[in-house]
Amino acid sequence: MDLILQQTINAISLGGVYAMLALGLAIVFSIVGLINFAHGDIMTFGGYGIFLSLAFGFPPVAALTIGIGAAVVMALALERTAFRAMRGADVVILLITSFAVSEILKVLFQNGISARPVPISLPASWSGTYQIGGATIGVVPTVSILVAFGSLAGLTWVLRRTATGMAMRAAAQDLEMLRLLGVRANRVVAVAFALSGLLAGIAAVIWTAQRGSVDPMMGFFPVLKAFIATVLGGLGSLGGAVLAGFVIGALEVMTQAFLPDSLSPYRDAIVLGLVIAALLWRPDGLLPAANANRS
Amino acid sequence: MTLRKLFLSTTAASLALTAAAASAEEYVIGVMSAQSGYLAPYDGPAYAGFQFCIDEKNANGGLNGTLPVRTIVKDTRSDIAEGVKVVQEMLDEGAQFIVSSADADPTIAAAQITMADGIPTMTFAGTAPVLTQVGEHVFGSYPADNQQGAVLAQYARDQGFERVYLVKSPDSAYTLGGPEYFGAAFEALGGTIVGTSNYSLNQPDFSAIVTTIKAADPQPDVIVTWAWEPDFPAFIKALRGAGVTTQVMGGDVLDTPTVRGLGEVVSGVVHTSGGFPEEGSAYADFIARFTAAKGFAPDNNYYASGCDIANMIEQAVAAAGSTDPRAVAAAMAGIENGTAIMSNFTFKGTDRMPLRDVVVARITADGQKEFVLRAQADPATMPKP
Repeated sequence: MDLILQQTINAISLGGVYAMLALGLAIVFSIVGLINFAHGDIMTFGGYGIFLSLAFGFPPVAALTIGIGAAVVMALALERTAFRAMRGADVVILLITSFAVSEILKVLFQNGISARPVPISLPASWSGTYQIGGATIGVVPTVSILVAFGSLAGLTWVLRRTATGMAMRAAAQDLEMLRLLGVRANRVVAVAFALSGLLAGIAAVIWTAQRGSVDPMMGFFPVLKAFIATVLGGLGSLGGAVLAGFVIGALEVMTQAFLPDSLSPYRDAIVLGLVIAALLWRPDGLLPAANANRS
Repeated sequence: MTLRKLFLSTTAASLALTAAAASAEEYVIGVMSAQSGYLAPYDGPAYAGFQFCIDEKNANGGLNGTLPVRTIVKDTRSDIAEGVKVVQEMLDEGAQFIVSSADADPTIAAAQITMADGIPTMTFAGTAPVLTQVGEHVFGSYPADNQQGAVLAQYARDQGFERVYLVKSPDSAYTLGGPEYFGAAFEALGGTIVGTSNYSLNQPDFSAIVTTIKAADPQPDVIVTWAWEPDFPAFIKALRGAGVTTQVMGGDVLDTPTVRGLGEVVSGVVHTSGGFPEEGSAYADFIARFTAAKGFAPDNNYYASGCDIANMIEQAVAAAGSTDPRAVAAAMAGIENGTAIMSNFTFKGTDRMPLRDVVVARITADGQKEFVLRAQADPATMPKP
């Protein structure tokens, strides 16, 4: 029982990170049709922001805040310099653009900072544990879960209760109509990128707190999983991205925990096989968007 | 008349230059060096150390004071297909020796290309003993994983550890082989393997493995992994974050400033290493020379390992008495107690993974590396590749 409780917490913790990254991808995709593979590099940039802040002597909380801010700034910079010029282009061209931006950023990280991982040492007191029944639960996974749910709740509030959020949801439905109604589309798109950068920055904080280092490839693998989540959830569906993020996280942790040793090398294949089966069952995703893009 | 004179003089000058070029013998070494990707952290320092010592030798006349070295260096981007391509290019440009990337897989791929001409091929720091199985022209330079595993297992048993949990990845020969060699030697010495977990390289999350370790019955008294960065930092953070304080041991890949910089979570972690710069040693002297020349101190063993490869090549060429590739390879394979910086090396009687000292070191609370012991693997307990 304790084992299942602990693995459940692990699954929610990992799923929360995937959900935030998937939501960041989905927000941008729903408005401008861009599957932003540079999203992982925005997360990595946030991680380097934390590393450099600590290296320059900032206290840990300030460093984490700077890391989140760095991710937001990077997301806005990419929107302005790379993606705005491609607005309205075919989805494949946008995809290739995002790959190009991602590669450029990776090379800059490798040559400008380091090709090897750099350590991020946060206070040991942040890595404590507490007991629930017979289970020993880590502080970092717990904080990760709280931060992930807090972020998702905050974003939901922004999208549903603020004028900007409503404009973003409207843009997801029909960007041209939004323009005709006099809303500044560039501003809405920029806010969407800023929000996706914010989520990538928060994911970077959780990721580096759990993993202890940042390297040029740090964001690539979680964003790959997050992309799978956006497809599984239904391309363009914000709720679907969050749900599928948690599903992917749970599948990864549970297959790691309970697959027999002889089958463990096939873990990723099994998880992806289950995703394919789910998409065959629901081709538009688990929670399709209103203007669904078939996955 | 003038034209004829010009033609004759030009022809004569060309012939003279050609003859001079042919007589100015040089030894051409091709170097695969990943400037990006997962091998860059190892190839980069190893190449820096290698080139530094080649430059030193060239300043003194070349190998053995008589044979200048020309290096051809090409980036592989940590991509095996790109590695194969650049090795072929370097052979086309006259390479007589290939120094390959610091892992078994790219070295095996390179060795397939160099096999036809018997060009000696030596890995920067690949330690999986299977890499030399390609052919008699392939050499390791670092103490092999089975040597490291045997020495570390002996140390663990000497400390009274009886039950080990192995964390390994089938995605690379290094991350799979290291823990398995340790386990085999540990069992041969009377220890028990109480559990095993597999992970994928660049696995996002280790919490599930940590929870499985916590639930193991009986509990291990030592956990062993050959995980490298960024997997090891993620693993140790998850392990200590879950309140598991069991002793952790690992391979030489933990001997990096990144791992030592992780803070309290790595305090007490024990790992193997290829060398240790004890005061007054050749290794310490190398660090002093390198620092004086380059303006920064080498912060890991790969610099010294790169320099040692230059030393190995020099001794093989001297023993061969020629630069013929097959003669150099045969001479290398016959070296016994050759001189190097990290430790002396012996290829004679081995399958071309050198028999060398293995150092066991411990990471201290203040992020430093502490010498524990230096030993050679006991052939009686060293697992076979």
